[in-house]
Amino acid sequence: MSAKRYLLNPMRTAKQGVHVNVGKDGDEYIEITTTLSIHVDDMAEIGVSDGDRALVKTEFGEAEFTCQTAKVPPGMIFVPYGPPTCQLMGGDTDGTGMPTSKGWEVEITPLGEANSQVITE
Amino acid sequence: MTCTLGEVKNRADFIVYWGGNPAECHPRHFTKYTLMQKSRFLPRGRKDRTMVLVDIRETKSVKAADVFLQVRPGKDFELITILRAMIKDQPISDAQLAETGLTREQLQDFVTRMKAAKFGVFFFGMGLSMTRGKHMNSAALLTLAAELNAFTKFVAMPMRGHGNVTGADVIMRWQTGYPFGISFNRGYPRYNPGEFSTVDVLVRGDTDCNFIIGADPGATMPKPAIEHLASVPTIVLDPHVTHTSKLARVHITTAPAGISAPGTAYRMDEIPMPLRPALESPYPSDEEVVRRIKETILKKPDWMGERPQMLTSQVG
Repeated sequence: MSAKRYLLNPMRTAKQGVHVNVGKDGDEYIEITTTLSIHVDDMAEIGVSDGDRALVKTEFGEAEFTCQTAKVPPGMIFVPYGPPTCQLMGGDTDGTGMPTSKGWEVEITPLGEANSQVITE
Repeated sequence: MTCTLGEVKNRADFIVYWGGNPAECHPRHFTKYTLMQKSRFLPRGRKDRTMVLVDIRETKSVKAADVFLQVRPGKDFELITILRAMIKDQPISDAQLAETGLTREQLQDFVTRMKAAKFGVFFFGMGLSMTRGKHMNSAALLTLAAELNAFTKFVAMPMRGHGNVTGADVIMRWQTGYPFGISFNRGYPRYNPGEFSTVDVLVRGDTDCNFIIGADPGATMPKPAIEHLASVPTIVLDPHVTHTSKLARVHITTAPAGISAPGTAYRMDEIPMPLRPALESPYPSDEEVVRRIKETILKKPDWMGERPQMLTSQVG
């Protein structure tokens, strides 16, 4: 397991927006919201390749994602918002009413190429 | 200190997107309002406008931008504060600049362009409002926009999310005076974000029943809030089966608003848009279901004894 911590940034994509309306039970929506984009150097450091599964953990929960290289800054991972990212968010709003949805520190553990399902504990 | 998107379309020659990715999240924004439209004051359309994008990564919106400023994550507040100082020719140290990940030349160019604009707009997204600093980041940007009015016309507008979140804010505002985070439990509206806001109420486990209309918090809210939704009776009105409806005790299927039910949606600049239904639906509208529930509740004996709810019953 990589001891290094990464910054998780949930985000939106046009495709995700379409599939929110098509159906959140659809395979495509599930695939979109369980795919994390990560810098190629970070992937090597964690020990995963394109298409490999990884377990992402925060202090509040964990979820499984499929890794995908992308042109993103090193040290940061990006995932479209969805039920898996909800599992990683804490409930404190710092008195604002707005949960912190971006900038969580996470640990990433490689899981290989297993076709495992998202953990919803 | 804001304006309508019509004014942006007709007058804005300097567009700044901050912490937002309109190419993916608001795909008609460029073409309908901010960049491509030709107008009386901007007859050459895109050629008469300048777009700056501020974000922590290169999104698809970068291709549309004239200038891209890649700020370090969580340093938006610092960057805005530096810009506020620079427009007033206050000194900035190299160490302060280094924190933002941007150079003095980049920021000086940004400031010069802002001051030279005839009509500038900040559109800010969740990259600003949902990261460290939250409302303080938004407040700082609004202050920067206000201060730029010493030099030229400048406004700011949030890039609102999907659905009709602007409508919810507007309706709550004209009915109660507050946009969200409102408690009616004393018989009159009280406003306190962090205490009465939905996420906080759910995470603390204050509710013993939840009534959710046209939203899917089961797929969007933090895990502790979702766990509470599942632990008490939750009633959902929604046209579709959602993550929330699956954990609810009751799901009433309703007609999709704007498609099979009439209503009013509010654009992100708070302009109301009446919607006529295009298709028929066998299901009732949200409004009809809520009205019928209310009528049924009113027929029940008043367990509180007197109306409105008595203060003594709540705090005595």
